[in-house]
Amino acid sequence: MAAKKKVLEFISSIAGQKRRELLEFESKKLISLWGIPTTRAELARDVGGAVKLAREIKYPVVLKVASPDIIHKSDARGVKVGLSYELEVKHAFEEIMANVRAYKPNANVLGVTVQEYLPPAREVVVGTMQDKSFGPTVMFGLGGVWVEIMKDVSFRLAPLTRDDAFEMIEEVKGYSVLTGVRGKPPADTEALADILQKVGQLAVEVPEIAEMDLNPVFVFDKGKGAVAVDARIILREG
Amino acid sequence: MFRFLKKKPPRKPKKRRVVVKKLKKLKAAPRKPRKLKITRKPRAFPKKGDGVKAIFEPRGVVIIGASGAKAGTAPALFRSAVENMSRTYKGKTHVIDLSGKMEGAFRDVKKVRGKAELAVLALPPSLALKNIKKVVDAGVRAIIVCPSYEQEERGELSTARGNVRVLGPNSAMGVINTHTGMCTSLERGMMPKRGGIAIVSQSNSVGAAVLDLANNRGIGVSKFVSLGDRIDVDEAELVNYLSKDKDTRVICIGIGDIRDGREFVDSLRAATEKKPVVILRAGIAQLEDKVYDAAFKQARAIRVQDIEEMLDVADALAKQPPMMGDKIAIISNARGPAVLALDAIHREGLALAKLAEKTAKVVSQRCPGTDVSNPIELGVEAKAKQYELVLKNVLADPNVDGAVVINMLKSRFLDAEDMRAIAEVLKKSKKPVVDVAMGGEGYVLVRDVLKDTNVPTYDSPERALRALKALRKYGRVKGKIEAPVVSKAAKKH
Repeated sequence: MAAKKKVLEFISSIAGQKRRELLEFESKKLISLWGIPTTRAELARDVGGAVKLAREIKYPVVLKVASPDIIHKSDARGVKVGLSYELEVKHAFEEIMANVRAYKPNANVLGVTVQEYLPPAREVVVGTMQDKSFGPTVMFGLGGVWVEIMKDVSFRLAPLTRDDAFEMIEEVKGYSVLTGVRGKPPADTEALADILQKVGQLAVEVPEIAEMDLNPVFVFDKGKGAVAVDARIILREG
Repeated sequence: MFRFLKKKPPRKPKKRRVVVKKLKKLKAAPRKPRKLKITRKPRAFPKKGDGVKAIFEPRGVVIIGASGAKAGTAPALFRSAVENMSRTYKGKTHVIDLSGKMEGAFRDVKKVRGKAELAVLALPPSLALKNIKKVVDAGVRAIIVCPSYEQEERGELSTARGNVRVLGPNSAMGVINTHTGMCTSLERGMMPKRGGIAIVSQSNSVGAAVLDLANNRGIGVSKFVSLGDRIDVDEAELVNYLSKDKDTRVICIGIGDIRDGREFVDSLRAATEKKPVVILRAGIAQLEDKVYDAAFKQARAIRVQDIEEMLDVADALAKQPPMMGDKIAIISNARGPAVLALDAIHREGLALAKLAEKTAKVVSQRCPGTDVSNPIELGVEAKAKQYELVLKNVLADPNVDGAVVINMLKSRFLDAEDMRAIAEVLKKSKKPVVDVAMGGEGYVLVRDVLKDTNVPTYDSPERALRALKALRKYGRVKGKIEAPVVSKAAKKH
């Protein structure tokens, strides 16, 4: 399969650098090779590069710090969203660099990633892990407090059937958030189920991926798709 | 049952056919223990699943103990095992007492060479370890190791077993096969009555408790196996065997940790195509329990919370057909219990059936005084006849997928004997029915009448509805196997 070959090539190019954790733009590159919808993200090493990429990706854009030493980019105040013109991008770049330096002075900062900006949507979390007894496993939860505070998540062993994917979506307590309450239209659970199945298949076919965390995945209204907005991949040891 | 013939060394085809015919004749005649010499040597590298049959349906059993051993409880347990076997086992039991004291027992393992497929090591740990090689050399196919060992000794045991399959160590509750009367348990008087439920327990004590409870409630068992610390035979192989076992209609598994998750899930999935599997797993506080839970769901097993629920649910699954829809009719001779049943239906996520007009009309015409809005109330004076008539009509109603029959004895005019006639009607039902006799003594009276019928009986509507829910879960599995359906969410939009 062509996608698998590309993913494995990509992984081996990174594995050569002797690190297990992929940066956000690398993780996104990997999942997009597998056909999982994600926002375009490119690395800019300096202000000029950021401006150039912003023009290419088209405004509005998002800037996020790119550093192997910073896992929680928002905590480091390393994320700026909804930037609509050149000056904003320039300011955002300087601001991010200053914030990050203050947050972690010794961090190895590669630059920023410039990403396409998506309007707000319902947020969910999709992940995979390799369970020591059951092997590749897919996790699903609703974003924000649902996962962090309520621990409202569901699991399935990969690979997932279509039914498995829908069952694990329906199983979380906050499921009604996706069906549309108080006049909100239902979310695109078909697109979400697609992502869950693809992610599961990836975890099965590429066991080099020890852990994968798509957080958040934006789920738009029915018929409008779902997109992984942030991604983090950890490779297997050795 | 004659599958083992295939495993024998190849003979001339003509001759084999003759043997098969002879065996068929034997089957028709009253059971006679067959004398068999086992000449076949185990294969060089037994595959998974090989020899598991010898654990449950051995040709010849040998129990090895040391009645004079000083170490703790082993001699007493050895005697129990011998007593159990002599009391109920229809096949041949050989006994070896390494102390040479027990009457009718051999002293040397060599004496039973080639005469037994299964050996039970009811020895103190050190003696068992010392003698296992001899037992292996005596040509058995499987060994049940009763004593328990530390990690390093388990390694020794693994090496010593060679190609022979081992159940255990620490399988003190051993194996029970109610159809042959085999019981290698070191606990006395555990033989349950025959029935369709197979029980696999990792823990000896939980297994013993489940058997005890089944005996206490008159619930029938097909096979029982205590898994112990599994150096060899594991849960996946047992599930595979039991899923093909004709005497087993439901498989119950009590387990803490699983040796190979994927393999177990595959065996469960294959098993649930054929029969329901009920699982009790300890450890719900662990995060990984969520993964276990997911695995059980994907394998279509029914997970329960405690051993009472396990037997409640298994009893219904063994006796009743799966429920193919959500809609339930409540037929009761008292209002209060019916209202509680309504709550239980709600709690289990099932639905109350609305009777077809025709059914309602027929019932109210022929049984005046019956309230035909579901719950269907029969009135204080309802006897067998009224129950019969209402049940026949309600169960034939296409709007009804299953029924709860509530029969209160105390405060009503119903007698436990009326239940016989009701059981006759229920016997013919193609839809699942469970019975509730709420209370204590009233329940026991009704249960004693119904326990040998196919109607599972419960002492509360809540327990009855949990059982119906399990029948519904298995109905969904059956429905999916027969005609795949679109998921709930996919249908909704």
